[in-house]
Amino acid sequence: MTLIFRKPLSDIERPEMPADVVIVGGGPAGMACALRLSQLIDEHNAKHPDSQLSKENIYVLEKAREIGQHCLSGALLDPRSMRELLPGFEKEAPLDAAVSKEAVYFLTEKGKFKFPVTPPPLRDHGNYVISINRFVKWLGSKVEETGITIFTGFAGSELLYDGDRVIGVRTDDKGVDKENQQKSNFEPGYDLKAKVVILAEGTRGSLTKQLISKFDLAKGRNPQTYGQGVKELWEVPSGRIAPGEVMYTMGWPLTSREYGGAWIYGSKDNVVSLGFVTGLDYPDPRLDPQRVLQDFKQHPFVAKLLEGGKMIRYGAKSLPYGGWWAIPPVAGNGWMIVGDSAGFLNSARLKGIHLAIKSGMLAAETAFEALKKDDSSAATLGAFQTNVESSWIKDELWKVRNMHQGFEHGFYAGMFHTGLQMFTGGRGVRNRYPGTAGYQHMKKLTELPANGGAEAHLLGPAKGDGKLTFDKLTDLYHSGTKHEEDQPAHLVIQDTNICNARCVKEYGSPCQNFCPANVYEMVEDSAQPNGKRISLNPSNCVHCKTCDIMDPYQIITWVPPEGGGGPNYDGM
Amino acid sequence: MAENILVVVEQREGKLNRVSWETLTAGQALAADTGWTLAAAVVGSGVAGFANEIAGKKVSKVYAVESAKLEPYTPDAFVAALKQFLASHPAKLVLMPHTYQVRDFVPKLATAMGRAAISDCIGYKKEGDRLLFTRQMFQGKLAADVSFTSDAPWFVTFQNGAYRGDKVEVGAAAAPVETVNVDIADGVVRNKPHEVFKEAKQAVDLTQAEIIVAVGRGIKEQKNIDIAKQLAEAMGGELAASRPICDSGWLPMDRQIGSSGQTVAPKLYLALGISGAIQHIVGMKGARTIIAVNKDSEAPIFEIADYAVVGNLFDIVPPLIEEVKKAKAGA
Repeated sequence: MTLIFRKPLSDIERPEMPADVVIVGGGPAGMACALRLSQLIDEHNAKHPDSQLSKENIYVLEKAREIGQHCLSGALLDPRSMRELLPGFEKEAPLDAAVSKEAVYFLTEKGKFKFPVTPPPLRDHGNYVISINRFVKWLGSKVEETGITIFTGFAGSELLYDGDRVIGVRTDDKGVDKENQQKSNFEPGYDLKAKVVILAEGTRGSLTKQLISKFDLAKGRNPQTYGQGVKELWEVPSGRIAPGEVMYTMGWPLTSREYGGAWIYGSKDNVVSLGFVTGLDYPDPRLDPQRVLQDFKQHPFVAKLLEGGKMIRYGAKSLPYGGWWAIPPVAGNGWMIVGDSAGFLNSARLKGIHLAIKSGMLAAETAFEALKKDDSSAATLGAFQTNVESSWIKDELWKVRNMHQGFEHGFYAGMFHTGLQMFTGGRGVRNRYPGTAGYQHMKKLTELPANGGAEAHLLGPAKGDGKLTFDKLTDLYHSGTKHEEDQPAHLVIQDTNICNARCVKEYGSPCQNFCPANVYEMVEDSAQPNGKRISLNPSNCVHCKTCDIMDPYQIITWVPPEGGGGPNYDGM
Repeated sequence: MAENILVVVEQREGKLNRVSWETLTAGQALAADTGWTLAAAVVGSGVAGFANEIAGKKVSKVYAVESAKLEPYTPDAFVAALKQFLASHPAKLVLMPHTYQVRDFVPKLATAMGRAAISDCIGYKKEGDRLLFTRQMFQGKLAADVSFTSDAPWFVTFQNGAYRGDKVEVGAAAAPVETVNVDIADGVVRNKPHEVFKEAKQAVDLTQAEIIVAVGRGIKEQKNIDIAKQLAEAMGGELAASRPICDSGWLPMDRQIGSSGQTVAPKLYLALGISGAIQHIVGMKGARTIIAVNKDSEAPIFEIADYAVVGNLFDIVPPLIEEVKKAKAGA
């Protein structure tokens, strides 16, 4: 079967709608942006009865069927930005527990060493354990109360340009079948012509990617680097972990050649959030991050915690950890980029929600000025860039600007650099450490020991015992992911000959391993040079974007499937 | 131009589409609000009966627009007929139900006349002298009021359910009926309709099957499906599959069992080369007896199987077919 990929239909008439501001993505950054914008407009309207600004033409696009359904994180919330956005928010927000206890461990295969002192970036007193899904749902209801419309079930499929200016967003075409033909329920995507477009799509946003490439925004920056977080939510017998108890681990099952670690957060009602973040710059293409989490759970320390418990939800998502030097310009002619799409995440603290919120608020302030002046050119929106640089976002990220790059040559070098950076305000051995895109660290099979060497224990798919550990499909079932089946594949592979002729031989088809949702599969096909052919199960996708990031040939582009499809991260 | 409203009701294959009453209700409401006259038309061949039926409702006049070339329905003939009719009987506002048939010809009619159509409306508003028609956008999240800036006739179609068909007002006396014969020249109708067919809603209802033989990836190739089919036939059961088989197009989607397919609970479920991912199991775990054949002794399907056969299905199925046939012949 030939694969047919999704693309916006051409030669059709599309309904147009004028808008003042379109925010693409209803996560913490997008919602905070909408809320702050509404506050500013309310203040303005109260003061200027003669020049009222309307909120009617401010829209948030969210590809999930319901608000918050695609939001996934640990999650710990640093309340700093929320206190600025909604003073006293603690009284009404769904916060599951205040952090009560914290510890960092280094794991060996069977043992563990507790860090005598919790490293400062991982000190979490004052933060809250939250479900990002419930938190964003709550934030979204606040936005809806203001009168701003959230279009759930609508994805941004393309940016609209006029020369070098972004003039709007095209939403996804609905009712298109596997062959890219219109079905009887076909509804063309809308062209939302907007004065200001704010990209809040999360990690590796698909419109953000288009924008970065069109205007060459990555030029002169470090390449963005990423991790993949695989998470399970568990219900455990009472008394195993206190609400608000927070643990981090380093080491096992990863070796010194991979970057990553785990979190375990105690929430309320005996619910435990645990997950493993594997840096998407590991060398061995056979490594499988979902397997890494399964191995981690078998460590006696973790197995004891989970024994007799039940896994209730699963999810996976990538996160940007390139830090300050990898953030592209965040404002231009008609556009701004906020949150994880820009890379506002502190990888030393494993936290980005507070920065996403703060960046959304700052973008709202600039968008508000643009609406007042009726000018959204780069000259006006450029203020967002300056405001980020003079805000505490930069203060926080500047101190850890070289953190992830320090680990590029392994764990021990990383610890050395991190230690040094801590005493030099983030500088380390030089002001700016260069970086390498993660996929470039991947080695060909011929350069690796056939038996996996030191990594042997963590290669290949997880088997799963059905109690403590799970194979990928079983885990995937618990993500609740669902898509309209009859639609073109949204994993756009530029050239499948590379998959079938080269990759299978050179790297052993790592897509099958790094995808946490079994989307990619090599099936037997005697007509192919290597007897195998790439096959896709797009409706398994959990929208983590790892394939777009980690594929060694960079030939996969993740585009949003028909709006409404995707995981269901209720309670995650 | 006369300020009037024309409702074009829909008939197809000798039946009046009931949605027509809804459009007539909308027309009556518009007529009451604007003070414009309301007429109705029915287009086809031998449609006087429908015209008389409509004449019982509160309308000023009913036209039967007739031509032998209007049966069976073709978009070319309908466009020609209505264009001609509207030339001799001008109307300011033309209302129709938003049916498949109307969707088929209205864009062509409006374009042929150089006019605009506002389709799939859920209501209207009168603001001063302006008529606004309400359409849904973003899957009903927003409603847009749209008005005409072009010359009449204005074409408007109403969504199914936008008005109540049972609220259509009956007239004090039967309205006059006029037959208008339209002349559709040879060569105008380029469409050649074939016999009408109904797509089978579901060729097979697996939920009713007592015996199901299901194949999975272990079947390897499309041509091998045949042996499973033979087994199903021998046993008097239905053939089904796990998702990869239907994804590859080897069997139609309506034979897929599992979370994205059907959920079944037959008396006997025979799983051939199905590993038993949870996505499949949720669709068949209610089966009374499950027999699984799989090469991999650790396949999860064996955890729920009542009978587990570890082996190659290609070794097992052919003799099984023979045995079933023999047993059936014996019985």
